[in-house]
Formats: sequence, structure tokens, C-alpha cells
Amino acid sequence: MHVDITELARSRPRITTGATTIDPVTAEVIRDTMETVCFEMAVYVSRTATTPILNQSNERNATILDARGRLAALSVGIPQFMLTSTLPVRFALDFLGVEEFREGDVFVANDPYHGGGHLPDYNVFAPVFGPDLATGERRMVLIASIQCHHGDTGGAVPGGYNVTANDIWGEGSRWPVLKVIDQGRERRDVLYAMSVNNRIPDYIGDLRAQIGAAQLAVERLGELIERWGVPQVEESVDYMIDYAARRFREEVAAWPDGTYEADTYVDHDPLGHPDIHLHVKIDVAGERLTIDFTGTDDRQEIQAWSTFGNTRGYTVGQIAAMMDPEIPKNEGFFEEIELVVPPGCVLNPSPGKPVSAGTHHPGAEVGEVIALALQHVLPEKAVPQVYKTGIPTVIVGVDPRTGASFTDHSAEVYAGWCNAAYGMDAWGCQAAAFGNLWKATAEINESLYPHVQWGRDYRTDSGGPGQWRGLCGSHYVKEVRVDAKVYTYVVGMKYPMPGIAGGHAGEPNLLTIRYGSDDPHVVRHTADWVPMSAGQRLCYDYGGGGGWGDPLDRDPQAVLDDVLDEYVSVEGAERDYGVVLTGSLADLTLAVDEAATATLRASRRTAGPSAGER
Amino acid sequence: MSGYRVGIDVGGTFTDLIAVTPSSEVVLDKTPTTLDDQSRGVLTGLAQLADRFGFADLGSFCRELDVVVHGTTTADNTMIEMNGAAVGLLVTEGHRDEIEMRRVHKEKIWDPSYPAPPPIARRRARIPIPQRHGYDGEELLALDEAAVRAGVQRLKALGCDSIAVMYLFSFVDPSHELRTREIILEEYPEVAHISLSHEVMARGPEFERVSTTLVNAYVAPKIARYVGNLEAELRAAGFAGPLLVMQSTGGVMPPDYVSRRAVSVLASGPTGGVMGATVAARAAGVGDFVAVDMGGTSYDLCLVRHGAPEIKTDWNWRYRYYIGMPMVDVQSVGAGGGSIARVRQGALLVGPESAGSTPGPVCYGRGSTEPTVTDADVVLGYLPATGFASGRMTLDVDAARTAIETAVGAPLGLDATHAAWGIERIVNANMANATRKVLAGYGADPRTMAMIAYGGNGAVHAWAIARELGMGRVLVPKTAPAFSALGVLVADYVVDLVRSYVVPLSQVDLPHLRSLLADVADEAGKELAHTELPDGSVHTELYVLMAYQGQNFDMSVPVPEGPGIADVDLLDLADRFHDRHEAERGFAFRHQQPLVRGVRLVAHGTTPKPDHLGEAGTVTDPAAATKGTRAVWFGDGWVDAPVLDGKALGPGASIDGPALIEEPFTVVVVPPGARCTLGPSLAYELLLDPAST
Repeated sequence: MHVDITELARSRPRITTGATTIDPVTAEVIRDTMETVCFEMAVYVSRTATTPILNQSNERNATILDARGRLAALSVGIPQFMLTSTLPVRFALDFLGVEEFREGDVFVANDPYHGGGHLPDYNVFAPVFGPDLATGERRMVLIASIQCHHGDTGGAVPGGYNVTANDIWGEGSRWPVLKVIDQGRERRDVLYAMSVNNRIPDYIGDLRAQIGAAQLAVERLGELIERWGVPQVEESVDYMIDYAARRFREEVAAWPDGTYEADTYVDHDPLGHPDIHLHVKIDVAGERLTIDFTGTDDRQEIQAWSTFGNTRGYTVGQIAAMMDPEIPKNEGFFEEIELVVPPGCVLNPSPGKPVSAGTHHPGAEVGEVIALALQHVLPEKAVPQVYKTGIPTVIVGVDPRTGASFTDHSAEVYAGWCNAAYGMDAWGCQAAAFGNLWKATAEINESLYPHVQWGRDYRTDSGGPGQWRGLCGSHYVKEVRVDAKVYTYVVGMKYPMPGIAGGHAGEPNLLTIRYGSDDPHVVRHTADWVPMSAGQRLCYDYGGGGGWGDPLDRDPQAVLDDVLDEYVSVEGAERDYGVVLTGSLADLTLAVDEAATATLRASRRTAGPSAGER
Repeated sequence: MSGYRVGIDVGGTFTDLIAVTPSSEVVLDKTPTTLDDQSRGVLTGLAQLADRFGFADLGSFCRELDVVVHGTTTADNTMIEMNGAAVGLLVTEGHRDEIEMRRVHKEKIWDPSYPAPPPIARRRARIPIPQRHGYDGEELLALDEAAVRAGVQRLKALGCDSIAVMYLFSFVDPSHELRTREIILEEYPEVAHISLSHEVMARGPEFERVSTTLVNAYVAPKIARYVGNLEAELRAAGFAGPLLVMQSTGGVMPPDYVSRRAVSVLASGPTGGVMGATVAARAAGVGDFVAVDMGGTSYDLCLVRHGAPEIKTDWNWRYRYYIGMPMVDVQSVGAGGGSIARVRQGALLVGPESAGSTPGPVCYGRGSTEPTVTDADVVLGYLPATGFASGRMTLDVDAARTAIETAVGAPLGLDATHAAWGIERIVNANMANATRKVLAGYGADPRTMAMIAYGGNGAVHAWAIARELGMGRVLVPKTAPAFSALGVLVADYVVDLVRSYVVPLSQVDLPHLRSLLADVADEAGKELAHTELPDGSVHTELYVLMAYQGQNFDMSVPVPEGPGIADVDLLDLADRFHDRHEAERGFAFRHQQPLVRGVRLVAHGTTPKPDHLGEAGTVTDPAAATKGTRAVWFGDGWVDAPVLDGKALGPGASIDGPALIEEPFTVVVVPPGARCTLGPSLAYELLLDPAST
């Protein structure tokens, strides 16, 4: 059987017919309550899940859908992943039929080719019932769903990132849809089968936390339905979806009509196939927005694929960052996007292709290429919500304190890839969309693993120059105090974060294993268990974010401030910004040489926009 | 202990005072806050009280004062205005930028243009120092003293007069930070303040500690100056008793203590309110409740179970900085009387923007045309047009109605009444959902709890918020308008100390653990020595901080054995940890070896509490206290509600809704079908569905 995910994603008809009569205040009160229920689901998982990846990372998305699978409300961990939690529900609805959704049921799904993102993302959902106004019989009104990233999903490599797998089966266990609670009764056979397909002993405990969260939402939404009645609840869902759709169209209508294209590339896949190409053509016509990825790479030997659901999530995540942040995020928001992704290209693979690398790259680059295409019409909104992680740097070894083997996923803080925005230098660690993450620190990791974190400060001159400056990347140095091995996949070396509206690119990524030794290993694309000896160091120079606008337009006083703060060097000020400084940083006597700066900038401008570009 | 006791809370607009007289009478007073120097307003308020009690002058009153307890907004105001000290940071090399990186956290995930927090120490004033300890205290790199000296000179040249020091694992081995302080004092003896991270927050992780230490260094000079001035002025006036200052833990301590840990007085105002609610609830026999404070700009709430407010030890963000101190968990949302209602793209939104007190709501007649929640309250009849704020204000109902009609009614196609009702429903739903979110974090069900409502608007909206949450019982104590002042007055001394010691339980070095426990007990004894508390009024609890491998939060497990803990007790300790983990988080890994992360001591020194709260009238027949009627809208047509004079009512009075009970600084709204009784502790008890209770 072949499931067409584009079909799953297609707009579905509303439940209520005719014009809604609900008053806007009641609709708003019901929406606010639904978003609170989503929040309660997410908090429930944090309180009751047993492993850190679920109870501490905030990487979880709670959603409420109507009985046809249209998104009504959500509480988001990472925006890019929010939409991959609706499509598995739709698959279940279509495959099983509404009659298989009974009161007290709870379902689980994780398969990328049945609507999911990648295999470690487990989606748990449950129907909510209420009395039909016409018949008085109880029927499904809403569906509560909670998606979390698990620490393992079976397959050849622990952790769910087998980036050299030939196909999806090599990456882990696939569960298109399973009923785990049947009308209130736990399916022990099913849960047991799932538990033996996972390495983590507490996996089922974590799954139970999600099940409990869905059941809590069913109870709370049941109360909501009891209070307002089925028609009011359904009408308010439709009203809020219509409202978001209208706001979306109004935003698009304000954009200049036209066709805007852009290209971007991923350095390579984990096997080293180079220059994975993304092409987008964005058509703005009145209030209609078409995003077409025709022309994107479709070499079948590539081993990095982003499923249609994943591609759609990154598309909407980027578009959302370019609109009024207050528009409710529901079905109306994204069913207004006409999304064209040719089957067989890296953004819409045919079933069976491996996805664990591609979920992130070319997944993340979807947002990048959209921002690049729209920078000429929406320069002030074009801030790519992107990362260039590759996959986490996995370090394994044996901890002498416990005698047990350890796996360090390097889930610590480091800065990278954060672009400037119009009017604002980039700040913090990463793009705003990842602001719900909460990463570990040196004091946490060193009590867990036999390492020493020698530093992760901003690298001077690594932020992309611009009228507003991209964020510097970290200079990250970690010493292993025992013999260890490193597994990872690195991108962003050949294609760093691009600048926007005349801003320059950030510095690229560079990972060196056995850094500073007489046998350093610079990672070209993948590190396949590269050995390190006790006392050796690993150095990851993370890439900077791109700048916004021509660096020659940056206020020279802001450049001087950047030099005082060592985000930029004295040489960088002159080379990248055309700002000539006198005096010395050591003596705090730096000053802008106004005349020399004016002369230098004038000559650079005459020489053309490419002068000074790196 | 036979004199007067005074609690003072300095708020944004008013300085509230509560005095307990030698005959246990409780008296409430207010005076405008003097923002430039809060101590002037405090002295004015004390003079007002002196006058009220018939003293010849402030001096003779001060000599009869046993204690003055103070809640100050100095630290909060410094953070709101970001006008604290010029701070420099000496920090472990390689970790200079933790404060900017914030563990990746950003507040607005949908808004790439949301700016960075204003810096306390810019990067140029964060000096990397080569030195390093490991997680177990091993010195991996010696302190580079020359770098410290050069760094201090650099900070001096940059004009920094307050210096923070944060080295990795300093809470395990503080020697480098201690040596750094010596060097700073040698190089820069005139420096105004030094904050060492292990003294401000004796635990990891480093982002939390550097953020807390920077905030401490930023506010400390101002706090020390302000509290020092106030103490000097009180002494000059003849006051000889202890001056105590409220902390965010809900406890009080002397000026010297809070000057060293200035960050601990953040949010002491809302904390005082919760402590006041706790005392009033105890007097009314209520243990499990939600304290809700609806004022002009914000709605603050706190969950209280078994009479103890929830204390939050992590994820305390204030003014965009992480504060790694235990804090009474008061959550705030932008919903108050001044919250502005507007229609945007067809949706009615209320708040978080607020009209504040200037220009304030339209009905204040100070020139504003943007309708607020208070305007809806007056249009729907909850608030009186005349006699508002103890008779000092008249509200312009017509102006409020016109503004609501124009800004909300017209775009939505509603008349003024329905538009005002829409505003009520939205703001009440916002407050109810905010409450539900906080309770969800603790796994608490609102339906099993009471609500204690205070603040100028708490009693007006409590019925609606409670109904939205399925809560049946609301209490409004008569002292509610000055709860923060009451709270600081009745708060206990609290000392909360932590020492870090990271080790698997099986590898605990018992003599070391014992010495840590003895050490914190010693220090607490010293801090409390000069409080002159009577014997038996200090209660001390010792804990071991424990976690499972991989968790990044600690659980405080009681050690009743104290510093005498023996080997055999460690097994009990493990069981206690597993049990507690199961009870609080729903699971335990009994096969796993817990990790010890440190020891903690919490000492409470109990202070005297007044017997009754507020001034009672004598009338118990509602009809006898009725001043008239007012038309009120409860969502389903206008009803005539009797208006009662709250000052006249005595304990035992029972009023059936609909009714409006007017108190000097608020109105208790009793909806149809509800019943309101004034209890012996002088709290109004509102039962929303009296038949079912």
C-alpha cells in the first residue's frame, strides 16, 4: 500500500455548514481554553516522563484537531515540527475509518511515510466525544494529540540517527498507527511488542506519560464540550480557523505581487554526495501564496531525504516567522499555502528512503531558501529560522567512575547560525524558533561524562557582517579524559548561513577531532567512530549567522562598540565594514577615524557591491 | 514585646502600612509612595500612624515600636528601569558568554525581531580568567593571579564599581573566588561591591549562577544604600528594635543579610501579598487555596497547599534574567483594571497593555479614550459611580460607555452593555486560564481548592474567575487591600542555605557529609543569633539534595538525623528519595543509585501573629447595612442588586446574591444564586453554589 502524503495534507472540509453564528467572544474563550489544554498536555509529559529527553528538553508539541483532522489549537516546542503531528492522525482517520475511533481509545504513530517527521518522533492521540445535537448520540468531536522526541527507536544505531542507513527500515521500528488503549483497556500485546523494539528500558514509561497527557486532554475537552455544547465548540473551531486564514490572506495581500526564486545548497549527504540543491519559486498573486520546489535535487543515490510532512513543517515555520506573531497557529494559517513539492525530489521522497539525516538537512534549508527568495520583497521579515547542525556530535566511551559505557550527545549550549534581523543585531545562541530549547551546560555535562569543557565563547569576526550583524558562532573545545570515539555528520562548511539584503554570510562550521595533537582529524562530511585518546581535545568552530544589509551602511559607532566587545576585530572592522579605527583596544583609546572611514567606504561603494565580500 | 508592630509595603503608587497595637488591634493606612526616595514615604506613613494613635510626635511613637518589617520594590524598580550599578564580571576563561547564550532560551519563538535583554555587563566588561576546577573539586588549572589583577584594572578603567566573580565549580571549591576577592580589594579598595557566585548561589549550573550573581551585583549597591538610609533614619527618630526586610522566599531577615544577598528581595511585594493571604486563610481555617491578586496592571496568583505557598527553586525569570534563588511561586499575567480592550482584525483582545494609573481608565476622566476592564466594571454596575476609592473618586460612567461603544461595540456590532460583557468574559477567561496553567504545573485540581481574592479588583472579579474554574468557594478578607503589608508583618525569619557535594550515594564520604550539615547549621545559627527570637520559636530542617543520574533538577530529601547521620541512615535516605520522587513526579527507579548533589538547610524563626484581622462592624441583618440598589449585569439581563456598607457588617452577617458589598478600597460582587457570609476572622466567604456545599 502506498500512502500519498500530499493527499493527507490537502485541505479538508469544515465540520459545520453555512455561516457560523457563534459570537467572537465565545469563540475566543473556547480557543483560549483549548490552548490551555495543549499547554497542560505538554506540562503533564514534563512532570511524568522518566527520561531527560522528554522531561527536560521541551521538544514536544501538543495539538487539538477537529474530527476531520484539522488543526484547532496547539502548544509548540519547536515550530518546524508542529505540523508533522497532524498528518499521522489524518492517516489513522483515513486508514481505520471514523468507526474505529471509540471513546476511551488511544493511538500511537511514528512513521515518516505515514505523515510523521522522523522515527524518534512519537505521536500519541485520542478522540474526544460529545452528544450530537440532532441525534443525541455521542460522536467524535475533537482529537487530542501529543508528539515527543524519544531517545531511541530501535534500528542499527542507538538514538535514532543512523545516518548511513540505506533505507527507512535500517533506521528503526516503524509504527504507522497502533491502538494502544482500546476503549480504556491497555493493549498489553501491543505495548510489549513496542517495548522489545526499543533499547531504552523506560521507553514504555515515557510513552505512558504521553498516553496520560492525551487522556488528561480528553477529560478536559470533555468538560469543555459539556459546558458549551458540541455545536458551539465546532463552530468556534471553524470560526478561529477562518479567522487565521483571513489574517494570513491579508498579510499575503500586502506583499508585492510577483514571482521570486532562490537556490541554496547542502554541502553533502552523510555519504559525501556533494551540493544537494534546493530551488524554490514563490508566487505572490493578490492574497494567494504558492511555494513551488520544482527544480530541487532528485538524485536517487542521495542519502538525505525530507518527507513531504517534514518539508511542509519547515515551510510553515519559516512563513510564520515572517508574519504577525499574534496570528493563531491553526489549520487556517497553513491551508492557505499552495505547496508544490515534486514526488521523488529530496523534499518529497518516494517511500522507503532514509530520513534521519534529511529531516534536518535539507529540511532546515527549506526555511533558508524561502527567506532567500522573499528577501527582495520582504527584506525586513527575512530571517531564516535555520540551523546547520548536521547531527549531534556523539561521543562514546567507558566512564571510569561507574565502569559503564556512556553516550554523550553533546546536547550542550553553543552559539551558531543565527541571522541578524532588520534593525537588530543577532543575539543569544540560535534563531528565535528554537528559543524553547534548554540545553545542558559544562557543570551539568561534566558531572555526567568524563569530559572537560574548556570553552564555547563567541568567535571574533565569525558573525556575518551587515548593517546589522549576524551572531558569532562558538569556539567550542572539549577534552575527553578517557579514550573515546566520535560519530557525527557535519554540514555548513561549504555553504554557511547566507546574508540577507546585502549582508554577508557567516563563517562556516569546522570540526576538528584530536585538535591540537600531532594527528588532527578534520571532519569532511561524516565522522564514523573516529578514536580519541584520553587528554585529547575536540574543537568545533560553529558557523556564524548571516548579516542583514550592506555592512558599509553600519553605523561606525556600532562597529566601534563591536570591536570594544570583541565581536569584531580591528582588522575586521576595516576589512568587512570599511571602518578605520585609531588608538588601541588594549588602552581603551579606540576611536573612529571619520575621514578615513568615509574615504574607504566611498571607494568600496564605487568598486561595487561585491567588494569586501568574503 | 508589648509595643506596636508595623508592616510596610512600598508599592508603585501607594505605601501601605499595617500596625498591630499593644491591644492587638489591626490598623490599616496608606500614603503616596515617594519614588525618588522610598524612605521619605515610609517615614511619612509612620508619622501618620503616630498621629492616629495619639502620639505627640514620630519620635515618641518610634520608641514604642517593637519591630518594623519592610517590603521594598527597590530591587524590582532597578531591574525595570535597568539603572543599577556599573557591573564588571571576572569569569572562567572560555565561559565569558554564558550570560548572552542563555542556554538557547528566547522568550518569543515566533518573533525573530524580539530584542536581546539589556545587558548588565557588556562583553568588554566580562574578563576571562585562566583557572579551572573540575566537577569534583580537582584543580585543573591554577588561578592566574596576574590575569585577575589586570582584569580588575581593566574593569576600573571601564568605570565598573561593582564586580561579580563566577568561576566554574566554585561551589565545590571556592578557593579561587575567595582569593580573587582578596586581589580585587588590593587592586581596587574603593570598589562599591563584590559578589562571589558561590556565596550568592552555592550550586550549578553556571548560566543560572552567573545570571543570579550579575543581578545581585547590579542591585546590591542600591539596596545597601536604601536599607542603610532607612535604618539610619529610623534610628535617628528613636527606633531601637529590629528592622526586617521581606525576601522572595516569603521570610524576613535583617538589613545586613539582605544587603549581601540583594537578589533575594526581588518580588518581595507580591510575595508579601501571598504571605498575607496565607495568614488570613489560616485564620479562616482554609489550607488549600489559590491566592489571586488583581490590581491595576497585573493579575498575580500563587498556589498554597497545606497552608504553605509553593516555593519554586528553578525557572524563576524576572525582568529577562534567571534568578536561581528559591522564590514563592507568584505568577503574573497582564490582566488588571487598567488593561486596555481593543478589537484587532475582528478579534476582541484585552491587555496586556495597560492604561496604568495615568491616564488610567476612561472613567477616571483623565483624558484617556481607550476603554479598560475598570470601564467595563463601571458600565455593568459592579463599581459605583460615586464613592469609589474610599470616597475620593467619582467615575464617569457615560464616558466609559461611549468609549466601549466606539472601540469595541461598533467593530463587533454589539451595544455598549454586550461589548462591556465581552470585555469581562475575555479578561476573566484569561485569568482563569493563567490560573489553570500554574495549577497544571503542580498537578493540582482547582475544583478542590478555595480562592483567596485581594488587590483592588480581586473581589470584583473573583466570582467570575472561580466559576470559570469550577471553584465553589471564595474568601475576601477585610484586610485584603493591604495584604502585602500584612504579609511582611506576620512573615517568619527564613534562612535557606545550600552547600554543594556531588557524589553517588554509595560513595558518600560520611565525615564530609556530616561536616557540611554541621557547617550549614552553624551558619544558620549565626544568622539568627541577633534576631533575639525566644527559645523554641526556631524550626530547622536539614535536607540532602538528590537526583537520578541525568536529571538536571534536585529534590530536597529531609535528614531528620541531622549532622549525626550514620552509615545505616544512608539506606533510609535512598528510600526516602525514591518515595518522594514517586509521590511528586509519579515514578521512581528503585534499582538505580541516586546521586547526592548537596545539602540544604531551611530555618524558620516564628514571629508573633495578630489574633484577628481588620476592624468589624456590628450589623448582622443585611437589610440594616443596605445603602440602596444598583442595576448590575451578570450576563443575562439587568438585575437590581442591593448595595451594602461593608464597614457596618459584623461577623455572622449572611447576604444572598445578587448583592454588592462596598468596602473602603474594593467591592465584593455577589452574583445571583451565591451567598456571602462574614466569618469570625473577618473574611467574607462567598459560596457560588450554596445548595451544593
